[in-house]
This record gives sequence, structure tokens and C-alpha cells, in this order.
Amino acid sequence: MLQIKPILSTLMRNKSGPILLLIQIILSVAIVANASFIISERIALMDRDSGTAEEEVFNFRLYSFDSSIELESQLQRDIRTIRDLPGVMDASATSMVPLSGGGWSSGYTVGNTEETAKDTESAAVYYGDEHMLNTLGVDLIEGRNFYEEEVLTGSPDLATHGIVSKAFAKASWGDEPAIGQIMYAGDFGDKPIQIIGVVDKLQGAWVNSSYLDNSVILNINLVNVFTKVLVRAEVGTLAQLKEAIPAALHKDNRNRVIEGFTLISEHRKRVYRNHELMATVLSMMVVLLLLITSLGLAGMVMFNIERRTKQIGTRRALGAKKRDIISFFLVENYIICLVGGVIGGLVAVQLGQQLMSVYSLPKLEPIYPIMTIMGLLLLTTVAVILPARKAAKISPAIATRSV
Amino acid sequence: MLSMKNISKVFKTDLVETHALRDFNLEVKEGEFVAVTGPSGSGKTTFLNIAGLLEGFTHGDYFLDGVNISNLSDNKSATIRNEKIGFIFQGFNLIPDLNLAENVEVPLRYRGFNSAERKRRVQHALEQVGLAARMKHLPSQLSGGQQQRVAIARALAGEPRFLLADEPTGNLDSMMARQVMELLEEINRAGTTIIMVTHDAELARRAQRNIQIVDGQVCDFTMYQHGAVADKPHLVAGDKRAVEPSSVEAEEATS
Ligand SMILES: Nc1ncnc2c1ncn2[C@@H]1O[C@H](COP(=O)(O)OP(=O)(O)O)[C@@H](O)[C@H]1O
Ligand SMILES: [Mg+2]
Repeated sequence: MLQIKPILSTLMRNKSGPILLLIQIILSVAIVANASFIISERIALMDRDSGTAEEEVFNFRLYSFDSSIELESQLQRDIRTIRDLPGVMDASATSMVPLSGGGWSSGYTVGNTEETAKDTESAAVYYGDEHMLNTLGVDLIEGRNFYEEEVLTGSPDLATHGIVSKAFAKASWGDEPAIGQIMYAGDFGDKPIQIIGVVDKLQGAWVNSSYLDNSVILNINLVNVFTKVLVRAEVGTLAQLKEAIPAALHKDNRNRVIEGFTLISEHRKRVYRNHELMATVLSMMVVLLLLITSLGLAGMVMFNIERRTKQIGTRRALGAKKRDIISFFLVENYIICLVGGVIGGLVAVQLGQQLMSVYSLPKLEPIYPIMTIMGLLLLTTVAVILPARKAAKISPAIATRSV
Repeated sequence: MLSMKNISKVFKTDLVETHALRDFNLEVKEGEFVAVTGPSGSGKTTFLNIAGLLEGFTHGDYFLDGVNISNLSDNKSATIRNEKIGFIFQGFNLIPDLNLAENVEVPLRYRGFNSAERKRRVQHALEQVGLAARMKHLPSQLSGGQQQRVAIARALAGEPRFLLADEPTGNLDSMMARQVMELLEEINRAGTTIIMVTHDAELARRAQRNIQIVDGQVCDFTMYQHGAVADKPHLVAGDKRAVEPSSVEAEEATS
């Protein structure tokens, strides 16, 4: 049985306690709504798929300091050696590693004539051979892979064929088919680059860039004293390959430094560390705020039970059932919570707007304050019912026993 | 109306067992006005609490209005308290945060009456005690006697068959006490059975029937001598259900 009217008048006649609680609830809702919005934004960012087999693919760095090494043939021998090691599924030299935070990026020019020419968005640029797609574990959805004979060894400006990510294809050519399109690298070479394939998804190295999903793979085995190698191997074999790869390569030539074995999944952890930290700190804040609010609620209820012992006994004597006593406290605190929740929701939207303009965050979605208020009502139920059950146990005999 | 047979009530604490009532026997008939006296700590409040279903008892049988009270659920007891019994307390027990109308309304809300019915009954009950004009006042704005009248209005609003009062005049000066007593007598004349615990021998004497509790038992059980009843002609005239001396004697024999 709801008794809103007399409970409201009771609240209006004893404002100070409820008002303190109200302020606490307003602040909690405003902060929790925005914090949980930011948390979910961050989690959504962290959840983005790189398109690669992150648990299987690792890279290492290969530094040849012996100037007598013939780099081109050495690299080809090395890659073949690695591919033959047990546990290794594929390997490819590369210019960059997904999610690693470092590498190459460039914009291109597309269009056939001077008038129709336009610049594309930036894209991460992977240089690699026909093994690269398989090594990364990306899905080719259109066109084809490089043929072995198409892959050139040497410098970036030799590139003639390109495989692009779907996102880059869409950004550059819209709904037109990407296969067969030509693009120019500008500073990185004046040869036309023909698009021969599209992969579903391949991210670049910079998770905070606006063009993370734009990637281009060009048909070049880069030759350099400093090379990065991508290896795809069965899950769990990294520890053993960390030993086996340097051993095998050093057998060929000792004068190299081989180091920095890192899974893409480890790169992911590192590049998203700040996001994760932010999400963790904010989650802890949310939990803490909700905890403090429920303690405040429960404390208020306990205080009121103490203060109203005789009243509760009297109400029981006059015919209140146990559930009437519990619902008395529930309704009272639901009222406070709803009023605080609605005001807090409005404050949350205001706060969201401030954050939006000052920290260029996206606009707070209304579902967050709404969910926060719903969560708070749930919390109120628990925080009130636990102590209120004690109130329900107060004997009606209190009515005659206490003066 | 009310029938208690061999009721006993033991309070157990860590150290002691208190036998608040021992083999307590009592019959109260419909329409009676019973005054209960006895020394402090003799078990008067315990008796009233058990009679009013405010607490349970250890042994014995209790029938109220034909209902066996021994094994009632908590909810059922609450319903009986709400519908059949009106309580008046020594300390008035008004709810300080609620105004007079809201206070009188409390049991009516638990009864589930709609708002129009509640309003009508609150108005009527407060008129009966002469405080309808002060409906919106808070209890703290009233004198003790007025507060007790509000409490009586609250007890009456549900039109109970049975009114229990534990020292209703204990906190009032004699002037106000007399007013409250007159109100109770009027209510009794209208048909409501009343059991009133009191310390005030003079007030007790005005009741139709006196019982005394000593050491947890009904000790002395007196019907007012005819002479004394004659002192209160309104009671004899107004109450057709006055207990016959013969039946009292019969009860005395069983107690
Ligand atoms: N809740 C309780 N716990 C223990 N003893 C109690 C309790 N309530 C009453 N008593 C004891 O029961 C006896 C009767 O008390 P009560 O009925 O209040 O007497 P009266 O109303 O006649 O003064 C007293 O000895 C009292 O101390
Ligand atoms: Mg007493």
C-alpha cells in the first residue's frame, strides 16, 4: 500500500536530513552518469578489432651491424629459415606492426586527370610480400594477393601494386569498386600503384589517430640494416620461438642483434594502457560513489529506525503489517532518490556539455543518466530493505512499553 | 467477546525468567467497561498487550470475538488489531511529523479505505472528540489532554468493537483526565467494549466492572456494589448490558 502523501508531508517537515542525502544523490548521479559514459566510450575504443590474429602474430627487430652482409639475400634466407621453424605458420618482413604505435603513414593522390585528382585520407603503409596477408591473418574480401613475382625488393618508391583495407577503399573511392583503381604515392615514388585487393579489416599503428582503419599494403620487401619481421605462430609457442629464432638466424650469421619479440596482443595492451587506466580509475570512482551513496541511504534509514522506534511500534499496533513498515521506508527513500535522480540527471547533462566543450568528448547519451537513475533505484531498494527488515521486526508491544 | 483461560506469559532474559502473567483467567462480555488496577509491575500492561494482540503468550487459550488467537500469523494479528481493536496509550503515541488529520488517518490507510471514506471518518472522529477545527495542527501544538483526545479519535475512526487503554489519563492532570474519562464513557455507552488500565482509583470506580491484577493473576474481582453503581446513574441507565451479579459470581468461582 503506497502512502505517498503522508510520507511526503513527513519529509517536508523534516528537511535537513533528506536534503543532505538529496545533494549526495544529485552529485552521484551527475558524476556516475558521465563517468560511466566515458568508461563505455573507452571500452568501445579498446574493443575495436585490428583485423589481425593478435594472439598468433608477433614481431621482432633485426639489426644487421656487419657492413659485409649482403642485406637482400640475407633477408630472404632469414625469412625462409623462420618459416621452416616448428610452430611457425608464416613470416614476412614488414615496415610496421599493427597497434605498435610506430611505423609509416602516408596520403595518396587518386584520380585520372589533373582536375579530378584528389588526396586520400592518410593510411598506414605496410610494405611486404605475398606472405603478408597470411602472416597478419587478415581476410581478403575482394581481388587477389600479390603474386610472388610481383614482389620487389629494395626501397619504397618501387611499389606498383597495392592491397587496401575496406575502410580506406571506401574513403578513397566511395561506392566505386577499388580493384583496378590507380593511386600515386607522391613523395614516396611516382609510379602508379594499382589496387589489386581489398582486405576486410587492417588497422594501423596509432590507436588515437582518426584513420586507424585505413591501411595500404604495398608489394615491396624493404631492405634495410634495421628490419622488422612479422611471424605468425601457433598460440603459446612464442616463448620457445624467442630462443629458436635467434639461434637459427645466428647460425647463419652471428653479427645481428635480434630482439623485441612482442605479440600484437601485447602491443594492444600497451597502446591502450591509458584508456584502460582511465576506465579503471573511473570505474573505481563509480563503485565508490555508489557505495558511499548506499551507505548514506542505509545510514539514514538506520537513524530513522532508531528515531522512530516508538512510531513504528505504534503503527504496528494500529494495524501496519511488516511489509507496510518496509514499504514506508522504501517509498520515503524512493521519493528522495527519484527527486535526486531527476535533478542529478539534469546536472549530468550540464556537466556532460561542459566536458564536451572543454575536453572535446562526445555528447553524453541520455541513456546513461537514465540507466544511472535506474541503477540507483535498485541500489536504494537493497540499501533500504536490509535495515528496514529490522524495523519490521520491532514489536508492536513497543507502543505500550516505551513512554 | 474476550475469553482468556490459563494464560501465562514468561519473559526470558539471560539471567531471569519473569512470570508476568500466571494462570490468568478472564471473561469480558460485549459492551462492558472494565477498569484494571493493580500495583506497578503486576502484569497489567502485559495483559493488555496480549488482549490487544500486541504480543503473544506462553501458555493458555485466548478467544477474541470467537477467534482463536493462539496461532495467528503476524499479518492476521495486524488485520485484527486494525479492524477490531482501538488502542489508547499513556503517552498518546501520536506521530509527531503528521498533523491531526493524518494521524487519525493512519489506521484507515492500513485498512485500505479509499480517500473519500478516510476523509469522512477522520472528520467524524475528530468531531466526536471536539477537535475537527484543528485538523491541520501538529500534535506538538496541542495540550496533553487534546493530544489524548486525538489519539482517541484515531482509535475510534476504524469503529472498533473493542477499545484498550493503558493508563490513558496517566500523563494528564485531573481536570483533563475527567474529560477523557467522560469521552470513554460516552464511547462505551455507544456500544464499544472498553478495558482500561488505570492507577486512578476514583476513575476506576466509575467503570462498570473492576478487576485487580496482583502478581500476574486476577486477584480481586469485584462488581461494583449496588450503592456505588447508584452513584453513577447515567451508566446504569445507559447500559443495558450491565453484568448481572449472578454471572459475576459464576465467573468468580472459575477464577
Ligand atoms: N519485555 C520484557 N522483558 C522482560 N520482562 C518484562 C518485559 N515486559 C514486562 N516485563 C516484566 O513483566 C512484569 C509485568 O510488567 P507489566 O505488565 O508492564 O506491569 P504493569 O503494567 O502492571 O506495571 C514486570 O515484572 C516487568 O518487569
Ligand atoms: Mg504498565
